[in-house]
Amino acid sequence: MLRIVAALLVTFTLAAETGGELRFCLRTEPKTFNPLLVEDESSETIRYLTAGVLVRLNRYTQELEGELASKWKVAENGRRIDFDLRTNVSFSDGTPFTCEDVAYTIRQLMDPALHSPTGDAFRSAPGAMESKCTGTSSVMARFPGAVAALAAQFDQVGILSARSARKESAVLGPFMVGEYKAGSYIQLRRNPNYWKHDASGKKLPYLDSIRLEIQQNRELELLRFRRNQLDLVNKLDPEMYDRLAAEMPKSVIDAGPSLDWEVVFFNQVATSPLPDYKRQWFRSDAFRRAISEAINREDICRVVYRGHARPAIGPASVSNHFWLNASLKPAAYSVPSALTRLERDGFHRSGDTLLDRAGHKVEFSMITNAGNKLHERTLALIQQDLSKLGIQLNVVVLDFPSLIERISRSFNYESVLMAITNVDLDPNSQMNIWVSSADNHQWNPAQKTPETPWEAEMDKLMQAQNAAQDLNQRKAYFDRVQAIVWERAPVLFLVNPNALAAVSSNVKNVTPATLRPQIYWNAERLTIGGTLVSQR
Amino acid sequence: MLLRQMRRILLIALIGGLLGATLVRMGPGFGIDEREMDNRLNSESRQAIRSERATENNIGVFYLRYLAGLARGDFGFSRSLNRPVSQLLKERLPLTLVSLAFGVLGGASTGLLLALLTVWWRAPGSDVVPAVLSGVCLALPAAVIALIFLWMGAGGRWAIALAVFPHVYRYAKNLLAATYQSPHVVAAQAKGLRGARVLFAHVFTPAAPQLAALAGIAVSLAFGASIPIEVICDTPGVGQLAWQAALDRDLPLLVTITVLVALMTLVVNSVADLALAAWRPAR
Repeated sequence: MLRIVAALLVTFTLAAETGGELRFCLRTEPKTFNPLLVEDESSETIRYLTAGVLVRLNRYTQELEGELASKWKVAENGRRIDFDLRTNVSFSDGTPFTCEDVAYTIRQLMDPALHSPTGDAFRSAPGAMESKCTGTSSVMARFPGAVAALAAQFDQVGILSARSARKESAVLGPFMVGEYKAGSYIQLRRNPNYWKHDASGKKLPYLDSIRLEIQQNRELELLRFRRNQLDLVNKLDPEMYDRLAAEMPKSVIDAGPSLDWEVVFFNQVATSPLPDYKRQWFRSDAFRRAISEAINREDICRVVYRGHARPAIGPASVSNHFWLNASLKPAAYSVPSALTRLERDGFHRSGDTLLDRAGHKVEFSMITNAGNKLHERTLALIQQDLSKLGIQLNVVVLDFPSLIERISRSFNYESVLMAITNVDLDPNSQMNIWVSSADNHQWNPAQKTPETPWEAEMDKLMQAQNAAQDLNQRKAYFDRVQAIVWERAPVLFLVNPNALAAVSSNVKNVTPATLRPQIYWNAERLTIGGTLVSQR
Repeated sequence: MLLRQMRRILLIALIGGLLGATLVRMGPGFGIDEREMDNRLNSESRQAIRSERATENNIGVFYLRYLAGLARGDFGFSRSLNRPVSQLLKERLPLTLVSLAFGVLGGASTGLLLALLTVWWRAPGSDVVPAVLSGVCLALPAAVIALIFLWMGAGGRWAIALAVFPHVYRYAKNLLAATYQSPHVVAAQAKGLRGARVLFAHVFTPAAPQLAALAGIAVSLAFGASIPIEVICDTPGVGQLAWQAALDRDLPLLVTITVLVALMTLVVNSVADLALAAWRPAR
C-alpha cells in the first residue's frame, strides 16, 4: 500500500522550482575520481553523482532501469551482454557519447593490471574478454566466464570517454566535479550536457550544485546540520538519531534495516596459534549454535541500537526482498536450550563455570575495533549473556589495522565482533565470503579443499548460483546456502542496523531507501526549498 | 659555520624520521591494507595489494629508497590517500604553518607577558589568576581544549595557543623570578634602580637566552597539540594528515612528517640561537 502511495506521489507532477545547492558531508577524502578504481565510500559517492552508467539499480524499487542503455540482452549463459545505447548524448565537455566509449570502458575495466573491485566482479574465470561495437549505437561484451546478474553489475561501471582529452573529468552523470579543495570540500556542478529530462520536459538535474564537505568528525557534522549549514546527513548512529529526533523530529528518517551486518565469528583456522581444545570448541557446530542462542539479539537492538536495528537472520537482510530465505527466522534467544546443546557436546557446569569435556574452563576473548561505541556496548551485553552459561568472555579492543592483521594474517585471535558493509543485493558479491577457498572466508580462509562437508556443499551451491541464469534457480541455491549458515553458524549474524539519516525540510523529493546512497540516490531530482516536482 | 649548522640539522632530522619509520614498521598492523577486506576483490587483486605493501616490509630497503627519492625531491607516495606525499604537504602545510604561527606567537607572547607582569608586580596573590589559568590549560588535554573551542565555534589555532601558553608561562615565570633573586639584581635595586629598568635590563636580558631556547620546544608543543586539535576541529592541515598516516601505518607520509617537524624544531632553535648571537655583540 505504502509503495502504491509513494509511486503515486513520485509520478505526480507539480510546478518545478529548480536551482540551489545541496550540502552534505563526506567522511573521508576520496581516493580517486576514476570511476573504475573506486574502492572507498567517498569515491563511490563521487562516482554515483557524476558517472553515467548503462543501467541503474533503482534503490527504492530494487529494480534495474536503463540509463545510457535503452535495452540490453544477456546471452551465452551469462557470458555475453548486448546493449542498445541512447543517441544524441554527450559528455560534460561536449564530446559525443558513442559505442566506442562503452567498449573502451569495458576493456579498461577488465585490464588485469588495474585490480579494480568493480572489474573483479566480472572476472569469474581466467581468459580473455572481448568488447566491440556491433552497430552505430550498439555494443557487446563477452566475458571469459558466466557472470551472475551480469546486467546489474553495470550499475557500478561509470562510462569513460575514449576520445576526450579531459579523461575521467568528462562525465555522463548529472553532476561534474567543479572545484576540489583538498581536505576541505568538493563542489559538484550541474552537467550542462546531461541527457535526462523530467516528465514535463525540463532538463535534469534540478540542483545547480552539490557541495560535499570533507568532515571526519560526526559530532561536527551534526552540529553543522543543526545550524542549517548542511542539508542532509546520509548516515547517523542511533544515539545521534535520537538526539536529533528530540530536537528536530521532522528532520530524521529511519529507512528500516540496511543490508549491513553486525557479526561474530570464531577462529577455526587449523594453523592458528590457539590451544587445540579451544580450536575444538570453535569448530563444534553445537558450541557455535549454543553461543548464538545465548545472545539476546532483541536486547542488542533495544539497548545498543535504541530500537533502530532488527535481529539478523543470515546473509540476506530482511530488506533484501528477493534474496531473503523467508523460511528462516533469527536464532531464538534461549539460555536453557543453549545449555542443553552444550551438555550434549560434552560441556558441563561446575558451579558458575562452564567446563569442557577435559575440564578446561570455557573462557575466550572477543576482539573488536577501537572507537566503535556500538561494538563496545554490544560486547558488554554479549559478555553478560554468556556469563549466564558460565562462559567468561574477555573483551579486547584493537585499532582496525591490528584487527585485520589478526583475522587475516597471524590468525592470533579467538573470536571477533565486526561490522560488514554490504552494498549489493545480489549474493554473487558474497562469493568471497562463502566459498571455502576464498581469502575472505574469514573463520577459516583459503582452504585447499573444503574442511567440512557443509562447506563443500556451500562451495557447490555458490558456484551453481553463479553459473545459473534463471533467477529463481539461483534463489533456490542461495536459499540453501542461507539455511546451511543458519544451521552451522560459522558466522553469528547479530543485527541489521537500520539506515538512519537526517534531511532538512528544505530538501524536496526525498524518497529514502535502504540501499546506499539512501537519501541522495535520486540526486538529479532533488530540489532545495522548492515544491514537489516530477520524479519520473 | 652556517653550512655546518644546516648539515647538522638535516642529519638529525633524517635520523629522527628514519627512527620514527622503524617504530612504525615494528608496530602491530603494519603492512595491512583495509582494501584486503573488500569482498569484491579476487585473490589476484588481493595478492597485488599485499605485494604493493611488501616493498615497505624491509626497513633497510625502505630507508635507501626513501633517501634516494628524497635526493630527487620525491617524498614518496601515500597509499592511504592515493597521492604523492609532496602534493599532500603542499596542500596542507600552509594552513598548519599559519595555525602554528598563531599558536606559538599567541601562546608564547601571552605566557611571557603574564610571567613578566607577575614577576614585576610581585604583590601577594598577584600570580593566582595566571597560575590557575595555566594550571587548567596544562591539565586539560589538547583534545579537550579543541572540543571547548569547537563548541564555542572558535578556530583551532587559538586552541593551539592555549596548549602552548602554560608551558611558556610557567617556565618564564620561574626563570624570571629566579633571576630577580640574583646578586646583580639585588645590587641594582640597592643602588636605587626600580621598576621597568630592573625588569628589562637586569632580569629579562640575562634570562633571554634561556627564554629563546623555549622557541623550539614551543614549536614541538604546538605541532603535538595541532594533531588532536586539527582532527577534532576537522582542519585539513598536516596535524590531521599525521593522524591519518598513523592510523593507516602510511610509512612514507609518517617519515616525511616526522622529518618535517624535526626540521621545524631545529630550524627555530637555530634561528633563535643565531638571533641571540647577533644581538649579544651589539649590547
